[in-house]
Amino acid sequence: MTTTHGSFTVERLLPASPARVFACFADDGEKRAWFQGPPGFVEKAPRSFDFRVGGEEFNSVGPADGDAHVFRARYYDIVDDERIVYAYEMYAGDARSSVSLATIELAPEGRGTRLTITESGVFFGDPAEAGWRQDGTEQLADAIVAHLATAAE
Amino acid sequence: MSIEHGGFTLNRTLPASPARVFAAFASADEKQAWFGFEGERLDEQSFDFRVGGAEHKLGRMPDGAPYRFDAVYYDLVDDERIVYTYDMDVDGRHISVSLATIELKATDAGTELTWTESGAFLDGFDEPQWRVEGTNALLDNLVARLSAARA
Repeated sequence: MTTTHGSFTVERLLPASPARVFACFADDGEKRAWFQGPPGFVEKAPRSFDFRVGGEEFNSVGPADGDAHVFRARYYDIVDDERIVYAYEMYAGDARSSVSLATIELAPEGRGTRLTITESGVFFGDPAEAGWRQDGTEQLADAIVAHLATAAE
Repeated sequence: MSIEHGGFTLNRTLPASPARVFAAFASADEKQAWFGFEGERLDEQSFDFRVGGAEHKLGRMPDGAPYRFDAVYYDLVDDERIVYTYDMDVDGRHISVSLATIELKATDAGTELTWTESGAFLDGFDEPQWRVEGTNALLDNLVARLSAARA
């Protein structure tokens, strides 16, 4: 049994109000627009989204002929337009690959919003996974930027 | 509204086998013997030690402040590893959300325990350093309990 502990912070300055950015995390349709796997992934099991303290979010995606990548989150603390605290676990197929604590913080800055994503996780597989998670989170932050740009048009 | 992030790793060598140390976390009676503070009052509790199970405590801190502790177990490997998240209220305020990992390794002296936590401390009601001190106090209880059980 090996475990690896890792943490990181990802930041973006977004050209939208805190309320608009908050909706990207709080609204099922909004989140679905940017919180996605790589191109080619399909839904492997029905998703669920219950954004409230104590509520859970579940999704399972993957290549059509490959293992599911499963994400299951539990929301712990929510302050509208300001912060979201949740824990989540991920599975590769049937094997649990990580458990993480994540916080989303939103602060007005200039005419936009400073988004700060902070995560700490424990990883059960390849020790490199902690670094991959940071890379993946950078990509998701870019997806939020792209989503807000598209939605603004 | 604020979040302070803080983490720590604590190591102890315990005079007992990994199976014995694991039981100190896995059994409700065993855990109650050390997982708490002198002068604390417990009003309500439940304990469901399995993946997806929850642990719940309501009580009063030694200074009389009401508290709530709720944990969810995420990953369990018998005699080796326990991963859970927990959050706490004190005085009706949500003070923290944490991820905790307990790892056990057999050594000649017994068991090397590694306790790793990361926490989000909310709105200045708690501080990472206090959590380090609290966890050290719990580990002192655990060492005393395992030493006494052995004697």
